[in-house]
Amino acid sequence: MKYAGIIGITAGCALLAGSAFQVHAQVRASAERLKTGAVLQEKPAVAIANHAEASYCTPKFKEVLAKVIHACGLDGGDTRRGCQPADVKTLASINDDDFNNLFIPLKDRGGVVMFDDGSEKVDDEGKQMLEDLWLDRKGARYFFILARASKTGAPDFNRSLSHKRANSALFHIGDKFKEPDLDKQVGLLWLGNEFAQLGQDYCKWNVSRKNKACTAEAINRSAFVSWVDCQL
Amino acid sequence: MSGAPRRWPSIVALVASLLGLTFGSLSTIDYSKHLDRQVHGIHCSFIPGMPVDSGGDGACRAAMYSPYSSIFRDKYWGGVPISLFAVGAFAFFAAFALYLVIAGPLASRKSTKFFGLVSFTPLLASALMFTISALELGQFCKTCVGIYIASVLLAIGGIGALVEGNRRGPVVVSGDKPEGGEPQVATNKPAVLVPEGAMWLPPVWLVTLGIFAITPALLYVSALPSYANYISDCGKLAKSGEDNPVLVHLKPAGATQQATLFVDPLCPTCKAFHKRLEAEKVMDQLDLTLVLFPLDNECNWMLDRALHPGSCIVSKAVLCADRRGLDVLEWAYDNQDKILESAKAPAGLVNVRAMVREKWGNLDACIDSKDTKVRLDKMLHYIVDNKLPVSTPQLFLGDTRLCDEDSDIGLAFTLRKLAPNLRQP
Repeated sequence: MKYAGIIGITAGCALLAGSAFQVHAQVRASAERLKTGAVLQEKPAVAIANHAEASYCTPKFKEVLAKVIHACGLDGGDTRRGCQPADVKTLASINDDDFNNLFIPLKDRGGVVMFDDGSEKVDDEGKQMLEDLWLDRKGARYFFILARASKTGAPDFNRSLSHKRANSALFHIGDKFKEPDLDKQVGLLWLGNEFAQLGQDYCKWNVSRKNKACTAEAINRSAFVSWVDCQL
Repeated sequence: MSGAPRRWPSIVALVASLLGLTFGSLSTIDYSKHLDRQVHGIHCSFIPGMPVDSGGDGACRAAMYSPYSSIFRDKYWGGVPISLFAVGAFAFFAAFALYLVIAGPLASRKSTKFFGLVSFTPLLASALMFTISALELGQFCKTCVGIYIASVLLAIGGIGALVEGNRRGPVVVSGDKPEGGEPQVATNKPAVLVPEGAMWLPPVWLVTLGIFAITPALLYVSALPSYANYISDCGKLAKSGEDNPVLVHLKPAGATQQATLFVDPLCPTCKAFHKRLEAEKVMDQLDLTLVLFPLDNECNWMLDRALHPGSCIVSKAVLCADRRGLDVLEWAYDNQDKILESAKAPAGLVNVRAMVREKWGNLDACIDSKDTKVRLDKMLHYIVDNKLPVSTPQLFLGDTRLCDEDSDIGLAFTLRKLAPNLRQP
């Protein structure tokens, strides 16, 4: 019986010491991994939330977009908002056709707000289009308003009219939605008659005056508006 | 037949104790591994020593992450796992049972009585944990069940030892002399009485049991590293959402801590995290800004496929419920498996829409409205503006992000450190 007690005590101490040592060693090993940053299993990389990236965002498209954004003061480094076409042409080093071609991919995303001759007033259909397009943002980062004026008339007058049309579209969005960071989202471009003119093919786009005849002359009294689903 | 105590109860108790010790050790080792704040595979089998399950058995992981798996969780990162106490206690019972096996009929009555009585303590603890598993977790971890079985066997051994120890009569021991005047059995061998044992022994054994039970825990605590430098190092919320009308704001009476929670209603991890927050009793103390982050490409442009199909619909329902958003969210969590299963069925989203309509019919028009779609878009843009990982859940206490690594066993500790205003449960 005496031996049984001794064996029991010895076994108990051995079991306790063994278990405690094992636990202690495991905790120390974990502490060491924590300290050294040793990783036993690599964690899968996690993407960072970002804006949408549509298939039309080709390197060339994005190159021009980046320059336009910079010129229009949308990159956060400039308080200026809005830019003249001449700036963009110079910065982007592209010809008129290339410039227009950049907007072709946005055919299904954007719309064309039509204006009366010599007027910058947005009609009800135009307002509705602006509102619908603005709300259909999805994951886009930038909203562009590209206004035009027809080739008839004095260049200065047309450039000024184009600028007013771009502002009219912007002001309507601002009044309607009261977005606090509107100036960081919207890029304004106004093209005078010195710039490439749109052909009648653009009448097939989503135009605001669906019940009125769309001529080559009318399509150039417009503001093309669209969200751009590209990351920069 | 002799009236001497038999050995089988002690043998059963020894086997049970060793089994309990093994399961307890495996459980403790699994727990200790996670002290490096990484996710590891865990042992989860009725057969001790089987390879770890890298996929993680849900029940074992749920048990480990639950607040019932450890104590002093707000004082030490991960707390002190209760399996540590089981390890020490089973080591004691194994040693005592071994003594009884070897001593056999010569073991004192006090020792068998003591063993019989204290052998119930693991069973009581197991019964408590079993009840918690059944009522709170709704599932049973295999390693835990192993400990429960060991506890039952140990109690059976203990009862046996108690019964055998109470048997009257001399013990026949070859070569020994009789020690008293009790009648001898009809044998040609000398008989002895079962010794009673000294009075002071049971208290000493009881203290020894206590020492055995707490020693592993003390060593565990002494070896724990400091986590202070790690828990606040997972980023900040660049743009506060407190005044953002697009987000869902929930401020219960008595809320003391501003928090922003990004969740996907159909994300299983979000559900588990939500349950852990509830178990820690902090949900009612949060001045909560809820941001829906559905990992479903139907509305979330950040994904090219739906991780949780149907999540956009449910998220819109939460948005539409606004102040009752938490009710919808908790309904989605409670029915998550069913909703996900419906979403993956042929009719897909139509099924999910029908489920939402059936439960939350009053939100129907709102869910389909353009305003809700725009609101959800803006919510996702808020996430983009904060440059957050495309991952759920994410909790910010004030502007400090709770690390993913601290969202399970280290949750209680980290909550108290990052948000001292939170009351302890």
